[in-house]
Parts: sequence; C-alpha cells; structure tokens
Amino acid sequence: MEKNSLFNKLSSRLDELSNLPKLDDEVSISKLIEEKGFSRREFMSWAGAMTAMLMLPASFTPLVAKAAELADRLPLVWLHMAECTGCSESLLRSATPSIDSLIFDYISLEYHETIMAAAGWQAEHNLEHAMEKYKGRYILMVEGGIPHAQSDYFLTIGAHGKTGEQSAREASENAAAIFAIGSCSSFGGVQAAYPNPTNATALSNVTDKPVINVPGCPPSESNIVGTLLHFILYGTLPALDVFNRPKWAYGLRIHDSCERRGRFDAGEFVEEFGDEGAKDGYCLYKVGCKGPYTFNNCSKQKFNQGTSWPIQAGHGCMGCSEPDFWDKMGIVHEPLGDRLYHTVFGGLGADATADKIGVGILTVTAIGIAAHAAISLIKNPKE
Amino acid sequence: MIKLIEKIEGEAKLNFNFKEGRIDFVDIEFMSTRNIENILRGKNAFDALVINPRVCGICGHAHLIATVQALESCYSNLKLSNKAKIIRELTLNFELIQNHFKWFYLTMLPLFGHKQEILKATYPSQLMGKAIAIFGGQYPHTSYAVVGGVVCEITQMDIVKLEHYISQTSKFVEENLVKTDSEIFLTCKDADALLDYEGDLPDILREIKKEGFLEHGKSYDRFISFGENSYFKKGKSLKAKVTHNISVLHVKESEMPSSFAKNVSFKDKYYEVGPLARAMVNKTPLIADAHKKYGDSIFSRILARVCEISQLLQHSKELIKDLDLSEKSYIEPSIDISKLSSSGYSAVEAARGTLIHKVEIENGMIKNYEIITPTQWNLSGGTKDKQGVSQKAMIGLSDVKTAELVFKSFDVCSVCTTH
Repeated sequence: MEKNSLFNKLSSRLDELSNLPKLDDEVSISKLIEEKGFSRREFMSWAGAMTAMLMLPASFTPLVAKAAELADRLPLVWLHMAECTGCSESLLRSATPSIDSLIFDYISLEYHETIMAAAGWQAEHNLEHAMEKYKGRYILMVEGGIPHAQSDYFLTIGAHGKTGEQSAREASENAAAIFAIGSCSSFGGVQAAYPNPTNATALSNVTDKPVINVPGCPPSESNIVGTLLHFILYGTLPALDVFNRPKWAYGLRIHDSCERRGRFDAGEFVEEFGDEGAKDGYCLYKVGCKGPYTFNNCSKQKFNQGTSWPIQAGHGCMGCSEPDFWDKMGIVHEPLGDRLYHTVFGGLGADATADKIGVGILTVTAIGIAAHAAISLIKNPKE
Repeated sequence: MIKLIEKIEGEAKLNFNFKEGRIDFVDIEFMSTRNIENILRGKNAFDALVINPRVCGICGHAHLIATVQALESCYSNLKLSNKAKIIRELTLNFELIQNHFKWFYLTMLPLFGHKQEILKATYPSQLMGKAIAIFGGQYPHTSYAVVGGVVCEITQMDIVKLEHYISQTSKFVEENLVKTDSEIFLTCKDADALLDYEGDLPDILREIKKEGFLEHGKSYDRFISFGENSYFKKGKSLKAKVTHNISVLHVKESEMPSSFAKNVSFKDKYYEVGPLARAMVNKTPLIADAHKKYGDSIFSRILARVCEISQLLQHSKELIKDLDLSEKSYIEPSIDISKLSSSGYSAVEAARGTLIHKVEIENGMIKNYEIITPTQWNLSGGTKDKQGVSQKAMIGLSDVKTAELVFKSFDVCSVCTTH
C-alpha cells in the first residue's frame, strides 16, 4: 500500500514536470542519449542502478528513467567558489555509459565555468540570463568554500568583480533547490582548516535558504547525480541527517558496510603498511582509518565507475565527508583513538577548534573502537 | 583597455593595453586565494599528504607525489622499492594524459570555432581516472603514496585491467586524435608530414597554418624543466641549446602588488614550463622539428602537449613490464617522523609543467611549506620592461580573441597558481 502511494505521488510529480517548457524544443534528453549511441536497454540498466542507489524498489525503475528524461525541465546553475574543481572533475568522469555526464552537460551548460566555452562578459551575461529566465525553477549547485564577511575579497569573481559571497547569496535567492556539492561548500573545506586564513565558510552560512549538503572530497559522482534525480522525482528535500546530508547516501558509516569489516571483528589489523596483513586485506584502523566515524556510502558506490575506493586500495578512510575533518580527523596515519596521548597542533588537538561541533560524540566512539583495537593486539597470535 | 576573464580552473583577469591597434602590454591579475601554505604550518608533516592534493582538483596527484618526495628528501637514508617508484610514476603519467585530453577537447577546440566535444574529453579521461583508481582507490584526490612507498598491494589481475585501460586509450587516440597507428605517430620526425593525416590534431594544426597563426604565441624561446624521472630529463633550453646542470636553489618567488599570485624566476629570468619545455629538454625529434620550423609558437605548444599523450602511453606500457609484484610496496623509514627535524624539496613534472614543493620540518611538525606551481612560471606577471612568458607571447596581436587562444595554449590553472 505504502509503496503504491509513493509510486502514485512520484508519478504525478513527473507529470507536472513534463508540462513545464523544455530547455530546447528541438532536443530531448532521450533523443540526445540515443544520438550518442546508447541503446534503450543501456539507458534502462543505468536507471535500474540509480533506482537501487536511491533505495527504491526495482519496480520504480521506469519512474527514475522518466525523471532523467525530464531533467531538462529544471535547468542547473553550477557556481564555483574557493575550491580546487575536484568535484567537477569527479562529475566529469561519472559512470559508464556516460549517461549522467550527458544529462549534466546538457542541462547545466547555462553556467558551469569549467566546461563552458564562453568566458568573461559573455559567461556572466549567460548566468544572469539563466537566473532571470528560470527564476524559481533552477537548481543551484555550489562547489567550494566561501570566504566570508570582511575576508570576502579573498574570492573575487566575474567581470563585475563581485565577491563569491555576493554571487552565492544572489543565486540562492530564486533557486528551486540548493545543493552544496563537496565538503568545501558543505562545511568550509580545506581552506577553512585551522587557522582558516581566508575565513572560508559553508554555503549554509551565507544564505538563509535551506541547503542540502553533499559532502565528500570529492563526493562520488553517483551521490551528485543521485541528489539531482531525487529532487526531480520527489520535488521536496530528501530526509536529512543532523548535518543536512541526504540519508539515502549518508545514513550509514563507512565502517558499517566496509569490505574489511570482518577483519575488524576478527581483530585482524594491518600494523604497518606493506606487512602481511596489508597484503591479505586486514582492517586499516590501526594505520589511521577513520571509517568508524565517517558517514558515507563509498563502500557501496566506490569511485571512478565502481573501480575502487581508498580502503580497497589499502589506505584508510580520512573522514572527508565529516565537518572539519582536516582538524578533527588528523593525524592521517594514526587511529583517532590514540588522540588522548598524541594530538595535532602540538598537543592542543581538537581543542584548537573547540568551538566547532561534533568532537564530543566522536571521542566517545573512539574510546570504544580503540579499546577493541588494543585488546586485539594482545589476542592476535602473530604478535 | 579591454578585460578578459579567464574561466578555466578558477579565474585570472587580463587587462589589455592597446597601442595603434596592437596589444602593447597585458596585466595579469589573480583575484582569489585560499592560502594553503598557511594552513600547512603547524600541522603534522604526514597530514600534508592529505591536504596538498586539494590544492588542485585537476593536477592533485602531482601535488601528492611532490609532497611525498619533498617529505622523503628530509630523511637521510630512506629506502624506496623499485615497485613503489614505478607505481608512482605510472599514476602521474595517467594524470598528465587525462589532463591533456580535457585541455584539447574542452578548451582548445572551441577556440578554433569547433564544437566543444565533451564526450571525447571525458571518455579517455575516465579510462585514465580508472587506471589511477586501481592503485589509488579514487581519482581525483588520492593519498595512496606515503613516506616509504605506496599503500596499494596490487595483483596480476589489476595489471590486466590496467593494460586494458591503456590499450583502450591508445585506440581512442588512433581513431580520433591522429588517425594512424600509434607507432607511426610516435616515430614521425617531420611536423609537416603530420599535416597529411586525418584526425582532430592535424585538423587544428592545418587550421593554424591556414589562418596564418604560425607566428602567434612566440615568447622568449626559453624553457626549463626540473622534474626528473625515467622519462623526463632535468634541464633548460635556450634557443634549442640544452644544458642539464641546473639547480632548484636558483628558483626565486617574488610577491606582486596587485595580485594574489607570486612570480617565479630562475636566475632572475622568466622561463616557460610544460610539455613544450619537456620536449625541448628531452630533444623529442617531432617537437624539435616543429620548433625549428615554427619556433615556440602555438603550433609547437599545442603539438607538444597532445603528442605527450602518445609518448606517455607508450612509456607506461614499458614501465609495467619492469614492475615486479613480489617487491615490497612499503619500506618503513628508519626514524620516526616525530623525531625528525630537517628540510627538503622536490620537483615533479605535472601536466602544466614543473611543480616544486619545499618543506621544513621540526619534530615531525611542518614549520614552513612552499609550493611553486607550473602556472606561476608561465603566468608570472612582469613589468613592461621585463615581461612574463605568457605576457610576451601576447604582445603585438591585434585582437583579444587571438590573445585568448595564445593565453590558453599554456593550459592555465588559476586555483593552483594562488593556492
């Protein structure tokens, strides 16, 4: 019953969307995909994968396919703030067949600075035009932290010399939905690490509109595309956690569905990179994995079209989708549980940024995990 | 005065000064910064391995390799297995290759009035991204290289996948970039002979000739390259005369009053870095021929960058043959980092040219960190009497559109520049 009512709700949402004007009357997304040599079958199998990722039953696949085809009803404005462009990069190499990059490229060309050909005055004009024409309808995605208040001049962009803060605030004003893509625009990111020289902050701190955070450094391409599809399907904000992250992607910890979890439970740990344990895929907690404190779906979605992810490659999770992970999750190759004895900033540790949230909860978990790791050392017959 | 806002990878502002219808002087300004060097100070030395790749999402891997090498240079007797060295070199090659594809198809083609071919840019760069992910877990922003080696324990199965990605990319080159056997392209020594082939690269080169752009983009004809590995050589080239005896100690950074970027010079002179510089120092026959005929113009610069794709694919294949999986991936350093007070530097060839990292460590904490990026070399904004490389390349052009083409032939990255 519940499934039926959701199906009907999503269907009527999509019917509504299909009545909206298209970006370009001559082109449709299904035609575009066909032109690029993808068969209907390939498109549907892509839609099936997306459906599973959004935690919907397989019978919803036709709806997700339709949502993808209707993506051109809600044009996308993508803004760059203080960042490294890694999130765009992550998106540019999204899944095979490149259906999602196709869709993104098609609907976002109104203003995506990295891939757009127009520059300077022309680009700025395109943006203003897009924001006026699609007022209240466009989806805003922002990449990068935002130098804030009196430090806003550290980010000056565009032909009119506006500050990043100004542009982000203006673009947020008339957006249908706002997504902060990556840890920088979600939480401030690397430039906001202590001592935060440019006073960089999160998008949610410069606008009073609701912002959905899609953190990660970079977030996987599927989380970016999934967020967009979710909005097209539902037309409302997804269920969010305490840091405004969509629960369908950030509901579980890395540790919960980690491929090395069995090793952790068995007390089998890599003691040092390159040892026999490392060759056998033992748990990376003792060489600094922050998976137990990090909420994300990397272990399921992986990166680069499912090729691999850091833990598969033998490097611990660094906690990149958690707020201020630069300051709170260091030292990179040491377990967080060791913090009590040896911390960043010459022993000051997380207290250097004590005004920020979250440390308390993390530390409690840390002690439990650290205790387990310590006991395992005694029990391990190899020691 | 007309302004151009350069949009690729962050922004640079160009102020053009015209005199009698020709560009007389170009002022280059960077208006944004993140101040990463400042953030590094006081952090644990190994945390730089996580922070530095985030300087740039396009060439972040080069920053990782530069960081790990700079930290390793602080140790006096650090051992590194041949396997780790080869793996690091491979992933760096892949990053260079994917970057060149994107630059050519996303940035260059539209400047020649062609349609921007997004899929042609993303397909091969996806393959190369996957190849990096085999070792690094993800791309961009991996931190798989650590002081003492690499963390990945790859198997023969991974090598099979890797070889597949490389051969698929080679196939893409043969079917799109230059429509001929890679072997023939790689052994071609005559830049003009290349014009007879079909493909996206010969198309552009023919257009440069047809439009009379052959004189465009010439600068000092002075090149430098510091990043040594099994393929690239260290050295400088002055009007095609190459010397290899150069030291990073003569590289100086200086502040600019109106910009967030710093100028970089070697013995008080500005040098061009990048694929053309590497090819000049390496004396690659095809590029040397192009340089002899067309100097350091956009013809040679574009050819050198695209040509590097095939060279690095070929070299990567050879590197894989030398890979011995039974060697150690990681050898623990003999001293703990917390007991180390020292300083060191590294130089790595990133997609856009020489990248230098300098570090000072005190009891395992970073006391000082300096990053000198490739675009800083090429885009140093000099005065009228002593102009930077890209500034000089734009002098005398009659319109802003051509100037933009010349400017972007250097493959500009402004997020790196101001870091």
